[in-house]
Amino acid sequence: MKPDDRGNQDESLRKVLQEWRSDAPLPPHFREAVWHRIERGQAPASLSLWTLARHWIGGLLPRPALAVAYMATLIAIGGAAGWTQARQETTRVRDELGDRYVRVLNPYQAPRR
Amino acid sequence: MKKGLIILMLGLVAAAATYGCIYFVCSSSARNMQASERPELTWLRDEFKLTDAEFKRVSDLHAAYLPQCRERCVQIDQQSVQLQKLLAVSTNVTPEIERSLAETSRLRAECQAMMLRHFFQVSQAMPQDQGRRYLAWVKEKAFAPNFDMPEK
Repeated sequence: MKPDDRGNQDESLRKVLQEWRSDAPLPPHFREAVWHRIERGQAPASLSLWTLARHWIGGLLPRPALAVAYMATLIAIGGAAGWTQARQETTRVRDELGDRYVRVLNPYQAPRR
Repeated sequence: MKKGLIILMLGLVAAAATYGCIYFVCSSSARNMQASERPELTWLRDEFKLTDAEFKRVSDLHAAYLPQCRERCVQIDQQSVQLQKLLAVSTNVTPEIERSLAETSRLRAECQAMMLRHFFQVSQAMPQDQGRRYLAWVKEKAFAPNFDMPEK
């Protein structure tokens, strides 16, 4: 469409709109209701934790980069927790076996039958 | 939302699986030690990095020492019972109590000398540096001020 054609169409539309009259009565408080709806649409939605979580899970998490980062972080956390727990357990068992070795050899500590 | 939930659950499952795998692998040495026939000797072998030949010598010394240790245990128990009997019927330190206390001290000194001899023999069956480390560790453990206090 050429710019001249669009200008002519806008002009004719403006004329039609200026001539248009409606005799239908408006519902009561129509104007207030319209403004109320506009205000409600502009008001920021209340940001509850659940809303944030839903937004994150539904909107952000499926993004590939974020999904990969999320998986990598959780796997790293799981690995680190497993390693730390195993290390603590191994240290505990080793200490216990060392004590047991000495107890077995010490007549004052040796378990009696 | 559904795709996000699937990724969320996958992440949690992957974290739990990684935790389990790493824990299982990294704690396997401790589990193997505990499951062995003589856990304390298996620990000794691992801790002081003994070869098969060294471990056999140490195990033989250990096996030879245990009957002596058990014999001392019986003597200690008998001596303890005797002393308790004397203490139960006495209101003063009688010559019998003094003799019993002296016997208790003699037994303790013998036990300590016997243990120390065994520790030296074991340390000599190890490589020199490990033997020194073993002696330092075992002396601290067995001759700590509360060494004859049974652990709670």
